Amino acid sequence: MYDFFRKNIVVMLVGVGLLVALITFSLNLPKSRQANLLERGVNSSIAPMQGQASRSSNFFIRLWRDYIDLVDLKQENNRLKEEIKQQNSSLIAAAEAVRENERLSRLLDLRKSVHETTVAALVIGEDVTPWFRSLTIDRGAESGIREGMPVLAAAGVVGQTIKVTANTSRVLLLTDHASGIAAMIQRSRARGVVKGRGDSLCSLEFSMRGEDVQVGDQVVSSGIGGVFSKGLPVGEVTMVKKGEYGIFQTIAIRPFVQMEHLEEVLVVLHAPQD
Amino acid sequence: MKVFIKWAALVLGIVLLQTSVLPGYLMSLYKPDLLLILMVFLALRAPIATSLPAAYGLGLLKDCLSGLYFGLNAFSFLIIYLVLKLLSDRLYVQNSFLMVLTVTASTFASMLINILLLSVFSESTGLISSLITSLIPHLLMNAFVASLVAILPESFRVKDIR
Repeated sequence: MYDFFRKNIVVMLVGVGLLVALITFSLNLPKSRQANLLERGVNSSIAPMQGQASRSSNFFIRLWRDYIDLVDLKQENNRLKEEIKQQNSSLIAAAEAVRENERLSRLLDLRKSVHETTVAALVIGEDVTPWFRSLTIDRGAESGIREGMPVLAAAGVVGQTIKVTANTSRVLLLTDHASGIAAMIQRSRARGVVKGRGDSLCSLEFSMRGEDVQVGDQVVSSGIGGVFSKGLPVGEVTMVKKGEYGIFQTIAIRPFVQMEHLEEVLVVLHAPQD
Repeated sequence: MKVFIKWAALVLGIVLLQTSVLPGYLMSLYKPDLLLILMVFLALRAPIATSLPAAYGLGLLKDCLSGLYFGLNAFSFLIIYLVLKLLSDRLYVQNSFLMVLTVTASTFASMLINILLLSVFSESTGLISSLITSLIPHLLMNAFVASLVAILPESFRVKDIR
């Protein structure tokens, strides 16, 4: 008997186990909707851990979703930034076009008022040294430009052409030391020569001490010398000094044209009279 | 030929920078003299056979882009170049500070030579005051740019000169 049990212990244990499982199952069938003791115990004990795990899991899920959203947001942000950049570029270009239009309109008005053939040119370079004042423009002999021709901007006189090549010309600015333009005070007709001072100002030289010149007076070209026609705006008197001695007075002039910000100029195709 | 093209491109870049780009950002007084700096660099480091014509050529180029007086800067560049070349054998030309010092001295010398030449051959009354006014900012700017050149990698500079 003992030997029989010993030989078949495994089979019997499996059988008993199956039987117990079957009985448990069958006993619980009528109360299948209610939790039994074991179920209540197990569920009660793991519930807090489940809650924690669930919260943690949700946290990571949210984190992941946020990350994904952030990636999307970043992409969207980049796209929007790019759009803003494009819009800004368009706005800047539009504003630039408006300003260019204004400048060119003024230049066109000037062109109409100058009763001689003119050539519009773009400023493409400046003098390499700080003590000479000249500009390079993109028109030269091929456009009919020769040395000594007057150069104007919308606000007034700029200077005259020097060193003309086929496609470029240098413009000796009104403010250069070597520059000199016969001019007069518009109000009193007092005459003199506007000479550059090397900075942004000029001086009216050879104006007699007794001449009536006041701060704020407008200076225009006198037409003497044959380069600039009469009446072109040159600048405004900013300082008048009459010394005790001497036959001339010292007059400082601020040119109407801001030489540092020139972009377009008009060259008057007018042969200088030697 | 390759080296020549490289140097020609460098000079072109410098000219464009100095005439068309920098004036938009810098006040006139603070314009650096990049051509002078390049000439000083060549005088200190390059062989005479190539650097002598280059120095004179740079001066002529500067004259083409500045003022009325063609040959003025070419002459002053040549004088400064010759003096620097005479001295360069006795100097430790790899020293960064030397570059700044020689550029400053050369700027000053260039202005003096220009004044002298204009006084003798032309009119320089007003010009002298302009030169004096712009002296300090110009010297400082040139020294600053020279200090930037001095910190360029040594290998780049030596390789390019050969």
